[in-house]
Amino acid sequence: MALLDIRKLDLSIARGGELLPVVQGVSLSVEENETLGIVGESGCGKSLTALAIMGLLEGTAVRIAGGSVHFQGWDLLALSPEERRRIMGRQMAMIFQEPMTSLNPVYRVGDQIREAILQHRSMSRRQAHERALDLLELVRIPDPARRIDSFPHQMSGGQRQRVMIAMALACDPRLLIADEPTTALDVTVQKDVLELIRGLQARTGMSVVLISHDLGVISETCDKVAVMYRGRIVEQASTSALFSNMSHPYTLGLLGSMPALDHDVEWLDAIPGRVPTLDETVLGCAFHPRCFAAKATCRTEDPGAAAVSPAHFVRCHFPQGSSS
Amino acid sequence: MTRPLLDVRELKTHFSIGRGGFMRRKSLLRAVDGVSFSIHDGEVLSLVGESGCGKSTVGRTLTHLETATAGTAMFDGRDILNLSPAEFRPLRRDIQMVFQDPFASLNPRLSIEQMLAEPLFIHGLARDRSEARERIVATLELVGMDANSMSRYPHEFSGGQRQRIGIARVMILTPRLVIADEPVSALDVSIQAQVLNLIKRLQRDSGVSMLFISHDLGAVRHISDRVAVMYGGKLVETGKTRQIFETPRHAYTQRLLASIPRFGKRIGR
Amino acid sequence: MSVPLSIAPVFRGRALATIGACWLLVVGIAAVGAPLLAPFDPLEFDPFVRLSSPGWPHLFGTDHFGRDSLSRAIYGARMVILIGSGSVLIALVAGGLIGMLSAYFVRLGHLLMRIVDVLMAFPALLLALVLMTLLERSVLNTVIVIGIVYATTTARIVFGMTLKLKRDVFVDAAICSGAGHASVLFRHILPNLVSPMLVQASFIFAFAQLQAAALDFLGLGLPPEVPSWGNMLSEERIYVTRAPWLLIFPGALIILSVFSMNLVGDALRDNIDPRFKDDIAGV
Ligand SMILES: Nc1ncnc2c1ncn2[C@@H]1O[C@H](COP(=O)(O)OP(=O)(O)OP(=O)(O)O)[C@@H](O)[C@H]1O
Ligand SMILES: Nc1ncnc2c1ncn2[C@@H]1O[C@H](COP(=O)(O)OP(=O)(O)O)[C@@H](O)[C@H]1O
Ligand code: SF4
Ligand SMILES: [Mg+2]
Ligand SMILES: [Mg+2]
Repeated sequence: MALLDIRKLDLSIARGGELLPVVQGVSLSVEENETLGIVGESGCGKSLTALAIMGLLEGTAVRIAGGSVHFQGWDLLALSPEERRRIMGRQMAMIFQEPMTSLNPVYRVGDQIREAILQHRSMSRRQAHERALDLLELVRIPDPARRIDSFPHQMSGGQRQRVMIAMALACDPRLLIADEPTTALDVTVQKDVLELIRGLQARTGMSVVLISHDLGVISETCDKVAVMYRGRIVEQASTSALFSNMSHPYTLGLLGSMPALDHDVEWLDAIPGRVPTLDETVLGCAFHPRCFAAKATCRTEDPGAAAVSPAHFVRCHFPQGSSS
Repeated sequence: MTRPLLDVRELKTHFSIGRGGFMRRKSLLRAVDGVSFSIHDGEVLSLVGESGCGKSTVGRTLTHLETATAGTAMFDGRDILNLSPAEFRPLRRDIQMVFQDPFASLNPRLSIEQMLAEPLFIHGLARDRSEARERIVATLELVGMDANSMSRYPHEFSGGQRQRIGIARVMILTPRLVIADEPVSALDVSIQAQVLNLIKRLQRDSGVSMLFISHDLGAVRHISDRVAVMYGGKLVETGKTRQIFETPRHAYTQRLLASIPRFGKRIGR
Repeated sequence: MSVPLSIAPVFRGRALATIGACWLLVVGIAAVGAPLLAPFDPLEFDPFVRLSSPGWPHLFGTDHFGRDSLSRAIYGARMVILIGSGSVLIALVAGGLIGMLSAYFVRLGHLLMRIVDVLMAFPALLLALVLMTLLERSVLNTVIVIGIVYATTTARIVFGMTLKLKRDVFVDAAICSGAGHASVLFRHILPNLVSPMLVQASFIFAFAQLQAAALDFLGLGLPPEVPSWGNMLSEERIYVTRAPWLLIFPGALIILSVFSMNLVGDALRDNIDPRFKDDIAGV
């Protein structure tokens, strides 16, 4: 069985007495030592899916409306939050998009890492301090012995994101969920951070779920990819299969939106319009108002998921790519 | 060669940081430390570099949002850096700025019409409301927005739409130089493409000169005629866009280009 | 000019604040309709019913001059509204201007904020006492003094908020459009201060009541014949053992009203720009 196995996950947001669906029928699996990429525009439900896996939706307006999440064989949604914390505490970790807001500005970074360690392990403060130093070394912060006493504002954006990763790794997780870990950073730092995650993965054999809206980042780091649009997975395949035969018009739209680096294009193939808001209902295929390939059927019938090739699924009436 | 529209020589902008006072020393942060470049009529120059290297400070100094420490900036043959605020004010019509964060750069308490009418009245480009309104409708159309957005407030728009409004506020003055500070980096990829296309089209159609500040090299390649690479407050390389992307000379430029994620390339492992 | 402020979400799910608001409404009605509602003339002496206990016809009893306590309490509501709104007006206009100008014009700010700091070094009541001893007892002077006291705190708060707003990108954008100082200050910054200032106003309104009551109690506030809750406490304090109701009723009214105003203020505070929440706390 896969390390993480999500089946038909449905999430809804309670607003004004009604439940608006935000994530619908999402099924994903991640094997040991594998990297899954989730790509899509903001508001497509990527972060909510991640928070549902982590069990961090408690006390929010988001409800789990259906489906299952299995991790190492445990049915996570059947566990109480208490049991979940006890069993899963050390096994999963998450890093967030904003390294500035996820660190507490009034404590030294070393103390914050030590607290993260002590939450999951019983060891002396002295040992925890040593371990914090090791972790800072691991995430390649220069001069960790001095940096351990820095406050978050004294570090650059890239360094703060490394500290976040160090805290996430404090408990040797089997699964690391990284929600847009490099969106706030610039390219040179982004490369360092992605390389760091890959390197750690190679060393520890952990699995990674990497959320991003940059297809380039996904293609460089992930083994397989799920493309999300408006709460649904619209295309899912191994990275190589996806990039050799992109089939969903939305995936192609994301690709077309990215300016080329090695040749000149006059105009970008932007996707027109924007992601509909939660309270806007779209009949038929949710993407049809923005889709270049839409036909009459798309306006009335919601396409089901169909296989383009054995491990490549597309939710579209008229998939593009080599088959058409 | 003709005289450039903007000619910046040895621009320096230093900030004193830390609290001064008894027994405490203020330290000097050389955010921009001797930068020279020029922009010709109708030309797009991109300024690239990592965060904190001083790109925004260059733009903000040229629009008098920060005070230059040294250097000159000849705009249309006149040094704009040593003008008093009152002397510079009429020139603001010609030198406009697009800001990065479309959520922060629009006053939440002004309707779109009020926001777009303000620059018109300040610079005497409209005598009354109906004249202003005509121009606002035309400009909104130019940036792909509906005329009925006029009576609405910023919070009713998405990020991409807000950035269009920000661009409308700039274009309504028909400036000669637009400084665009990371105009798309706060937007979603697909919306970035829409707004980049818009900026490129407006630039082409109006022939305005542009200083395009960005760390997104794809966008830079797409939009600019020439590129200036900045590192630690200084320019390390300037050249035609193609030359910078195909035969980068400086080590930092090479590293920057090598860092961009590309399809089919794998990191690590 | 501005985005409409909506009242409904302020009180949704906040039973206490709603009760508080209702109580303040009752005080307001009492103030407006005092001549109709009060059963007796609040100033009329009746030597035959001195210190009578609560009952019919004097529901709140009478004081040592035989004046009807209920009627005095109802007229006292007028003082609550008068002192509250008067001092809020002075505090917000004077304090708001000083704070805004000081934050915007750095040099002027150095000077003005030092003066504000000096005034704020005194505890509020002490400052009010010092100022009152220089003036004669009157309703107007009491309002002015309390207004000045809270103008200092308001100036501090508005100073901090304006400093934050001044750094907002939309202010830069306005400057780039060519907007001058007056336009930046009054068209771009001020409208964004309105809702936090409203919250601030509700707290000043509450604290002004305590100040006024304290001044009355010390015999430095409103002239003694004016029916106010503070004066009722002050005049009858020596009868605390013989006629405790004379202190219990006005005391309870003051506490209830101040508490209500604070509850409403808290509810309002939760609906403003989160960056300004910490600023407002410091009355
Ligand atoms: N207030 C401060 N006190 C002490 N050190 C600081 C402070 N601010 C920054 N530094 C240090 O100065 C160095 C440069 O910081 P800066 O923020 O310019 O980095 P950067 O090059 O922009 O990095 P990034 O691209 O990751 O943001 C870093 O080592 C950082 O930790
Ligand atoms: N008003 C200011 N006071 C002090 N330091 C500043 C100020 N504005 C910018 N800086 C500093 O100047 C440097 C360059 O900033 P900026 O031009 O904003 O960078 P970027 O290239 O990312 O746009 C940074 O180190 C920044 O922290
Ligand atoms: S189903 Fe139709 S509208 Fe939807 S993505 Fe496919 S072609 Fe486009
Ligand atoms: Mg997200
Ligand atoms: Mg910048």
